[in-house]
Amino acid sequence: MIRVNEALCAVTLGAFLLPGVAANADVAIAGGQVIQLEKTLSDVRNLWVTPEDFTRINGFEVKPEGACHEDICIPLRQDADGDLFVKRDGQSWLNATMFADKVQQSYVVDRESGVWSFGMVPSSRKAFLDSAVAPDFELVDRNGDTVKLSNFRGKKVLIITWASW
Amino acid sequence: MPVWQSIYEDINDENFVIMSAAQDTGGEAAAGKIFDDAKVTYTAIIDEDHTISSLFNLVNVPSGVWIDEQGQIVRLNEGTYSKHHKLGTFEFGSDIYVPALRDWIAKGSDSEFAWSPEEVSANLIPRTPAGERAEPAFKLGVYFHSQGRESQANYWWEESQRLNPDSWNFHRQDWSFTPSEASSNFMRKVQGLGDKPYYKPMDLPGE
Repeated sequence: MIRVNEALCAVTLGAFLLPGVAANADVAIAGGQVIQLEKTLSDVRNLWVTPEDFTRINGFEVKPEGACHEDICIPLRQDADGDLFVKRDGQSWLNATMFADKVQQSYVVDRESGVWSFGMVPSSRKAFLDSAVAPDFELVDRNGDTVKLSNFRGKKVLIITWASW
Repeated sequence: MPVWQSIYEDINDENFVIMSAAQDTGGEAAAGKIFDDAKVTYTAIIDEDHTISSLFNLVNVPSGVWIDEQGQIVRLNEGTYSKHHKLGTFEFGSDIYVPALRDWIAKGSDSEFAWSPEEVSANLIPRTPAGERAEPAFKLGVYFHSQGRESQANYWWEESQRLNPDSWNFHRQDWSFTPSEASSNFMRKVQGLGDKPYYKPMDLPGE
């Protein structure tokens, strides 16, 4: 019952006091993973997620100095509500779409179904684009084993893509 | 496919591996039998959401990427058939590709077929900002397809083709789900190329 009430409140208040906690769970697709977002702040334009889901979406970790990935840290004010960060009932929320715009991460959204799909962050592609470092990936092979490209260091690898079509 | 298995057996070098990825959103049902019939002993992957092409900026199949012991790309091509083929006026593949591969396996960076990092960068297929958005759009289509929500899958696959009209992978994967129209769609698009080649030339010395 409590859960239903919370949901109703969120829907009612959401229209007036954005962002509020949304009743509907959204889904994010990123890095080959389908991420079920437990709850999000309702906001017509932006996708607000928990710090854990934020990292799953773009690889950036929320630290006191900002949102960081490898040697890049994007400043992120966490002592007051802002465009990228808000706190509600002790829970931190991050604006994944505005952050994507900031770091030029491509994304699309199917609004009707609340499914957001994120592309790659360009700064994480520099080694590939500028220095020909093979981008790493993990895929499951036909034996059900996880294949990680970087595990083949020390060998020469030929990747061949093909298709039945 | 069967061709690569015999090439692999023939090369028989413990420091050389082949990773073969079928880019098939149709999954095991679409590509599994082809792998089975070829009795492949190298790594066989069914890459349903085209992860590898997305990461390496590939737009066509077959494509081949050579990666050295340090994880550096040293050659990346499309149209990487093991031999030269001619279908009417359409020619593709090169008889030099497999000897070139063997030369690189033997000589490493001293091989004339291995590119420097600068040459690799210059040969990558560039992506426009719209082309970058085509990637998550295509994957959104794959997600809806996996959920059986075909009209939404179609919408996002069409969007991916609009955003990156140069990706044959996006066109042909989408067309594969309407087989009766696939070849006419393909011929129309190929004719629209004019003087542009279907496969980017491989730039193999001695070709």
